[in-house]
Amino acid sequence: MNLWHNYHYAVAMVLFCVGLYTVIMRRNIIKKIIGLNIMETSVFLFLISIGYRKGGVAPIHAEGLDPSRMVNPLPQSLILTGIVVAVSVTALALSMVILLYRQFGTLDVSRLFREETEEAD
Amino acid sequence: MSGGIRHLPILMITLPMVGAALMPFISYVRRGAVPWASALFLAASSALGLALIGKIPPDGSVGYRLGGWEPPFGIELMVDFTGYFLMMVVCGISLLSLVYSRPYIMREVEGGKITAYYVLFLLLSASMMGFVVTGDIFNLFVFMEILSISSYALVAVTGNRNAVRAAFKYLLMGAPSSIMVLLGIGLLYSVTGTLNMADLAMRIGESGYREVLIAAYAVLVLAFMVKAAIFPLHLWLPDAHSIAPSPMSAMLSGLVVAVSAFAIGRITFSVFTTRPWGLVSSTLEALAAAGAAAVLFGGIMAIYQRDFKMMIAYSTVSHMGYIVLGLTALNPEGLTGAVYHVLDHGVAKACLFLCAGNFIYRKGIRRIDQLKGAWQEMPWTCFAFALAAWSVIGLPPSAGFISKWYLVYGNVKADRVPYAVVLLLGSILAAVYCFRVIYYMFFQPGEEGAWGDKVADAPSGMLAPTWILSLATLFFGVFSYLFIDSLLKAAASLL
Amino acid sequence: MKRVISLLFIAALALLLLYVVSRMPPMGEPDIPTAVRVVPRYLEKAEEETHARNVVTGVILNYRGFDTMGEVTVIYCALAAVLAVLGREKRGRIRDYVELSGLRSSVIVRAMVSLVVPFIVLFSIYTILHGETSPGGGFQGGAVIGASMIIFTTIFGLHLSSVKVPQGFRASLEGVAVITFFLVGVLGILGGGNFLTYAWPKVSESVHPALVTWLTVLVEVGIGLGGAMVLISMLFAMVREEGADEPMA
Repeated sequence: MNLWHNYHYAVAMVLFCVGLYTVIMRRNIIKKIIGLNIMETSVFLFLISIGYRKGGVAPIHAEGLDPSRMVNPLPQSLILTGIVVAVSVTALALSMVILLYRQFGTLDVSRLFREETEEAD
Repeated sequence: MSGGIRHLPILMITLPMVGAALMPFISYVRRGAVPWASALFLAASSALGLALIGKIPPDGSVGYRLGGWEPPFGIELMVDFTGYFLMMVVCGISLLSLVYSRPYIMREVEGGKITAYYVLFLLLSASMMGFVVTGDIFNLFVFMEILSISSYALVAVTGNRNAVRAAFKYLLMGAPSSIMVLLGIGLLYSVTGTLNMADLAMRIGESGYREVLIAAYAVLVLAFMVKAAIFPLHLWLPDAHSIAPSPMSAMLSGLVVAVSAFAIGRITFSVFTTRPWGLVSSTLEALAAAGAAAVLFGGIMAIYQRDFKMMIAYSTVSHMGYIVLGLTALNPEGLTGAVYHVLDHGVAKACLFLCAGNFIYRKGIRRIDQLKGAWQEMPWTCFAFALAAWSVIGLPPSAGFISKWYLVYGNVKADRVPYAVVLLLGSILAAVYCFRVIYYMFFQPGEEGAWGDKVADAPSGMLAPTWILSLATLFFGVFSYLFIDSLLKAAASLL
Repeated sequence: MKRVISLLFIAALALLLLYVVSRMPPMGEPDIPTAVRVVPRYLEKAEEETHARNVVTGVILNYRGFDTMGEVTVIYCALAAVLAVLGREKRGRIRDYVELSGLRSSVIVRAMVSLVVPFIVLFSIYTILHGETSPGGGFQGGAVIGASMIIFTTIFGLHLSSVKVPQGFRASLEGVAVITFFLVGVLGILGGGNFLTYAWPKVSESVHPALVTWLTVLVEVGIGLGGAMVLISMLFAMVREEGADEPMA
């Protein structure tokens, strides 16, 4: 059982669930977006931890540095892409929030949807 | 495949991308040129695709090493016949919807946003093409994100408050599922150390970390189920697809969800090639059950809709179930049916949404009961609708018949007779909801003054794409023998 | 009720994920699958194959360059998405909260910002150009430029910022990252290799180090410039106040 040894992964998974909880349960849409970001960050933590190496050094070549001691550079480059994706989704979500607030005057999900049912009648 | 021709798939994907990147500049110089320039880039991409006809072997695939790095180290495109076929479907339907967009968007979207609309449109098509042929699982994620972000924004592009709300709902379901895809990729990577699909398939076969692999599979399938709107996770689809501008609904409903459903097949057939573990096959069983539920639920909900576009959107929920049932049959016939269904559902559904767009453009009609007597006012649109509905129901000689035939055959062959019955029931439901509209259109007299002054049919720039699509449903039905054999071979080599 | 069900669902998910974690390979050990597959080649050969001392840069721009092309497309797509939702600002005088409120920051803040912003931009140029030898690169540098404009806009208002970085300039450069990648890709094909091949097979091997280095720098600059313009345009679209003359509904 590697649960204790892999505590980085465990923390990432718990954070993932915290983020999911925020997205599902919070009524304020800004908080939902924060929840999304927590989920994203947790996955980044997870991926970066995969690349960790005991006693490793940054993967930048220098004089007299043994390449086999370097940490795994692949997750780092994946995360860079992941961060850009996260930024993009957050920017779009926030601009939608700006528009929603202008049009409905509320950030509360239950009020956004209550109006929907009223209009349907 | 050798010589210059091997570069064509990558150019097909990147041409619309670079076109999109040039668009703000073109718009700054001359805004009126944007629609034409966009059409030009997509047309160029389609032309490159046409040049590839007959060059892709039906069995096996053509790898293309980006940057010249060999597979597990660099990114590889895996262009197999199925992927090429889907790329061409994406190209064709995108080009027609793009041409259709010009008059429609000029009216529905305010001037400053038109450039953004075309940029997102081009990126959406490019990302779908990349999505179906990439051979690297992280690259799949990147393309999926371009696809998702452009879809969210295109639903909201009209700025209508209900549209923004539907788009936000779509984003709130879509974004967590994207993150789940990334989590699944992380889990896969942590136990295999590779991201290339072919290499993953090999590593998974010899890996000892069974639980992690099963979790990765379940997470990926669940995430793509949200993207593909498969039954219990379809909640975002009806709102988003019915409120988006009509050419966009055609893209979203006809292509985006179908391509996402195909990604499930990609994960199952190209990555988890060996499926020796109980839990993986039970995930597939659950998926098939969800698909069957989707067929029935979508069909029944479609019957009860009053809004025309809402009905077509629920029909999409139902048809995603068809594709899933074909994929999970795990035999060449079922897979062929599913791939061919992506084609005919895409074409027919795009046509239906464009017809709905014609009614909205001319008369602002959204409700089905307002269509009484439409036949006398807009005959061309109504006949195009009838032809496409024929294919949605799956009656011969339309393309819908061919794909449903293979779907049912595949399911019977896999000893899943109940699912085959569900597929036939789905057709009956489709007949009910389609004939209801046709009844209103053709056999109900129009109320006096309901149509106001004599209205012309839609402008030819909109009618032409509608009719090309509706005739395509017939073409792909009658000439299906041109594709089916190759698709069967390709499916057999995938399995 | 819904609350309880959701909580139970999430708790079950957490337990399942923790179980999966307990079955994963031990973190940080030298013999786990991630450390023995694919990566050793990157670590050992990256310097001679990609001519970048920073292996991460080598992986991002060269081995997995197509991912990065997708990535710049994603952020460009996000800009188009923001503009599709909020609309681009009109040419001419545009206003944001700072201008509407009529408040002015104190002279100390204004002086500090106008002093610091040029240095931030200088630092971003350093970050962009040194991506191949040290931590940093196009995205980071572009983000720093974007941050400098955020500071400038919060203090001096949108109108002055949009005079400093005019719309036509941004519109021409927003897509430059994607275009650079495409050009480098096509040059790779013309040079006898595949899309995004940096070391063109058609030229002699002795030129390769210089060629690869220069193409890498070109791509970095394209990413940095494009990323910065995308971020600035996004910022302008988001801080712009609409219907400033009407009372807030």
